[in-house]
Amino acid sequence: MTGFEMPIAVFLLINLIATLLRAARGPTAADRMLAALLFGTTGVGILVLMGAAGVAAALVDVALVLALLAAITGVAFARRAWIREGDDDARNA
Amino acid sequence: MISTIAGRGLLFALFWWVLAEGRLEGWGLGLVAIIAALAASLVLLPPRRSRFSSIGLLAFLGFFLLRSAQGGAQVAVLALRSGLVLRPTLLELPLTLPPGAPRTLMINALGLMPGTVAVRITDHRLQVHALDERMPIAAEARALERRIARLFGAPP
Amino acid sequence: MPGMLETASLLLLLVGAFFFFAGTVGLLRFPDVYSRLHALTKADNLGLGCILLGLAVQAESLGAALKLLLIWPLVLAASASVSFAIARRADALGIRPWRRQGD
Repeated sequence: MTGFEMPIAVFLLINLIATLLRAARGPTAADRMLAALLFGTTGVGILVLMGAAGVAAALVDVALVLALLAAITGVAFARRAWIREGDDDARNA
Repeated sequence: MISTIAGRGLLFALFWWVLAEGRLEGWGLGLVAIIAALAASLVLLPPRRSRFSSIGLLAFLGFFLLRSAQGGAQVAVLALRSGLVLRPTLLELPLTLPPGAPRTLMINALGLMPGTVAVRITDHRLQVHALDERMPIAAEARALERRIARLFGAPP
Repeated sequence: MPGMLETASLLLLLVGAFFFFAGTVGLLRFPDVYSRLHALTKADNLGLGCILLGLAVQAESLGAALKLLLIWPLVLAASASVSFAIARRADALGIRPWRRQGD
């Protein structure tokens, strides 16, 4: 522990709030989808920092599970989009 | 067949070791998890002769890590410079990789490399959004494509 | 040398925080959803990589360090596929990329 984990986690939380507010404002639906990216990266960053800061060691496992779910969501998301397109490539992807 | 099972079993055991942070008390449960994972992987991804190349994997990883670090640094500079200096453009690139895993990897990797994100994909063409039209996007994409082709053992 | 490891760790954490900050600034400043995607995916993922590496060098065991590093490729895969999904959604919605006017 360097003692800086918690301040940096708080700094990332401020970033997360600022970007979430911006993403929620849009203007397009695609802008609002950016929120899905934020939880994957910034959210995981906050969790591992808090885990290292000694809040609870299990937070690293929470971060790992969140990352795993985000990866599965991403793959499912992409596959769905490909199949919806209806081209032959999709079924092999 | 045997070597595939042994290799995957070893890989899952390694995963469990990492998840348990090297501690030994959970290995009973670990063994169950490893066998279940192995069974699931054999059902979902049956072993078959593949030309997947480990040297190709190392080459791809090295290239990708370097380029994605460059991509992050470059976009950070662009974001923090005073005055907006972006010159975004849409580019059409030819795509020679076969459908399936190679294409998926290509599209995903492009999103983390300097200045590119894939937007649309059709049979043999890929549309890419580039952050700056002055960057050598087409050459970069070709270099990535070559490495992915080698990774999957396709003839160059 | 524990002192040196701690310094390296702190340095990596600060660099990571810097990239997250750059990603936030990019999201707030860039003109359209496509360029905002570039800012978020590339800068935030590099930032997370630095933070995970920074925590891994001060981890108590090799297993704990590897566990932290295992998170990174998962998040990379997630971000990359979600960012492609967003870009094609934007394209399907008919959103035209922002172009520089004039020159």
